Amino acid sequence: MMRTSTFLLLGASALLAAMPALLSAGLLNAAVQMLIAALFASAYGLLAGRAGMLSFGHAAYFGVGAFATVHAMNALNGAGLLPTPLLPLVGAGAGLAFGVVAGWFATQRSGTAFAMITLAIAELLHALAPQLKSLFGGESGISAMRMPAWGLSFGSTTQVYYLTLAWVLASLALLHFHTRTPAGRLTLGLRENAHRLRFLGYDVHRLGVSAFAISGLFSGIAGALQVLANEAANYVVFDAHVSASVVLNSYIGGVGVFLGPALGAALMSFFGYAVSDATQAWLLYQGVLFVIVMMFMPEGLVGLGATARHRVRVLGPARALPLLAAGMLAVLLLAGGTVFLVELLQRLCSQDYRALAATAGAWPPVTMFGRSWAAASAATWAWPAGLLLTGGALMAFARTRLLAREAQR
Amino acid sequence: MDTLLFGLLNGLIYGLLLFMVSAGLTLIFGMMGVLNFAHASFYMLGAYFAYTLQHALGFGPAVVAGALLAGGVGAVVERFFLRRVHHHGHAHELLLTFGLSFIVAETIKLVFGNFPVDYRVPPRLDGPAFAIGAQQYPLYRLLMGGVALLMFVLLYLLLTRTRVGIIVRSAIHKPRMVEALGHNVQLVFTGVFAVGAALAGLAGAVAGAFYTTSPNMAVETGVLVFVVVVVGGLGSLGGAMLASLLIGVMTSLAVSVDRSLADLFALVGAGAWADSVGGLLTLKLSSLAATLPFALMLIVLLLRPQGLLGEKN
Repeated sequence: MMRTSTFLLLGASALLAAMPALLSAGLLNAAVQMLIAALFASAYGLLAGRAGMLSFGHAAYFGVGAFATVHAMNALNGAGLLPTPLLPLVGAGAGLAFGVVAGWFATQRSGTAFAMITLAIAELLHALAPQLKSLFGGESGISAMRMPAWGLSFGSTTQVYYLTLAWVLASLALLHFHTRTPAGRLTLGLRENAHRLRFLGYDVHRLGVSAFAISGLFSGIAGALQVLANEAANYVVFDAHVSASVVLNSYIGGVGVFLGPALGAALMSFFGYAVSDATQAWLLYQGVLFVIVMMFMPEGLVGLGATARHRVRVLGPARALPLLAAGMLAVLLLAGGTVFLVELLQRLCSQDYRALAATAGAWPPVTMFGRSWAAASAATWAWPAGLLLTGGALMAFARTRLLAREAQR
Repeated sequence: MDTLLFGLLNGLIYGLLLFMVSAGLTLIFGMMGVLNFAHASFYMLGAYFAYTLQHALGFGPAVVAGALLAGGVGAVVERFFLRRVHHHGHAHELLLTFGLSFIVAETIKLVFGNFPVDYRVPPRLDGPAFAIGAQQYPLYRLLMGGVALLMFVLLYLLLTRTRVGIIVRSAIHKPRMVEALGHNVQLVFTGVFAVGAALAGLAGAVAGAFYTTSPNMAVETGVLVFVVVVVGGLGSLGGAMLASLLIGVMTSLAVSVDRSLADLFALVGAGAWADSVGGLLTLKLSSLAATLPFALMLIVLLLRPQGLLGEKN
């Protein structure tokens, strides 16, 4: 088992290292964003998954790391002890420092109140940032230049990619190492039973702050990497949707497994990049996916593989595989029907279309998926209805059969 | 003097509106232990429902219908979403409502567009109520305060003077015991959730016409409402009232204060130094009004972690 996972890890790293040779410049930029999102989500996963503390304001630590880095870039100009490749250390330091302060406040309470405090701290920064122009640059933000260092110019996307990759892999390795240390084990204990830890003589508040601060540290590195990639920072990094997307991504991936949040974030930001031109409703799909994951697969997407393997092992491949395939087909049909419906509604509700319909006095056809659809015709609406009904029926069938066969055992 | 009086009145009425939203939130929390992240979404839904229906029904009935529809959505959320994940624990429920609030906001953007809609106070209510000196006070503000007050009186009477109120209060305290006595506690949960959502929807339908109705209103109000319930003490209705009024008055008075910390330092002769430091020290209090509730929350958490009227946990 150990050997396969090491093998997989090496393979994945080699694939990541070969990316610049395989991808175009645009896709490589997207890959940089995916790596940064993956690191941010992993830092979040440490707090939410391992320590069991739900933070709704993680954009604050990301943003603090980003702004500290952009100021360091401008102040040092790549000279002195901090050449460009080491700049994420500034983000790490700032994230850590802010994490200690904010964590000290937030971990006074646990559970729901904790979540609200993190939210309020992030909103405090979000409301304050536009006012403090000298620190956060106002509307236009602050820009900086990546200075050449160590014989590298950092002018090309490829070099930025390798810089990001090195930092992300090193950070993930450190985060993984943290799970093996006594402190990391105690973090897990914090989630499972804080009372017991207190009885055993541990300082629970200090443990909470340490988990919070370490999460802040790696969030700060992610923020710093984003500044290095964009050569600019703007106060929109404090926006609520940055905090929201890291929560959604991490839980869609699954916070119970170390790489779950990272995979979820990489997947989501890849889809976000791939479909952002094709649809305006991407955030809606992300929200719907999140709610479905929360309702039906609390382990996240990484839990799916394990569930499927378990079913195959219990029932035998011949009996389980056809039903699993039917379930997958049902998911595709349901997803197709939902996308059809959302895209159709989005087009029918758009301002342009409403103006058009008002002047024409009728429902003009809409263009979607490369062809024209009559808005008022039953045939158009039969498509999503048919897809959803077939998918739903197939899903119900596969589910009941699977459960029935499992019950027979 | 006029400014102070008007600011105070504005703050009180804004506080009452905040309480209308936070009352449901804190009741639901006290009862089910769930902090409903989507609560402010019901506030937004109320406003949008009323906006959509006002042409067909007229303003008054549209407000009532908006509140009822928001309550209906609340009942659906409790019955078909929250109850299904209840066995996964409170954190899971919080996350689910977080996802739902996301979906509501995105759906609203999809249907109504990502900009404020033209939801206005009807002309016959859009006049001055009274004037002090040269300044006139809008009638609609008083009306909002009146609606909020009326709701509290009704809610209070319902909770303290009726049989349903007794069952609800005991279900908050000891749900198992109430169930053992033969009451349908699940139904009580759904009912309280729906009533809380309807209250938030009513606040949204009433306030949306006066302030702006936009897809961001849920997030903006939501964050304030969370501050209210944490400052007041989670689950405490009286605390929510106190904190709502405090935050309402504080923010609305701060808007009219044109002073900064540097002026404070000037009193002890360090004004020039503070001016030279700049940054936070020279920011006017009026521009910091939006950050005051969060600062208040951090101070309260520091001095009294359980909230102003909360029980120690």
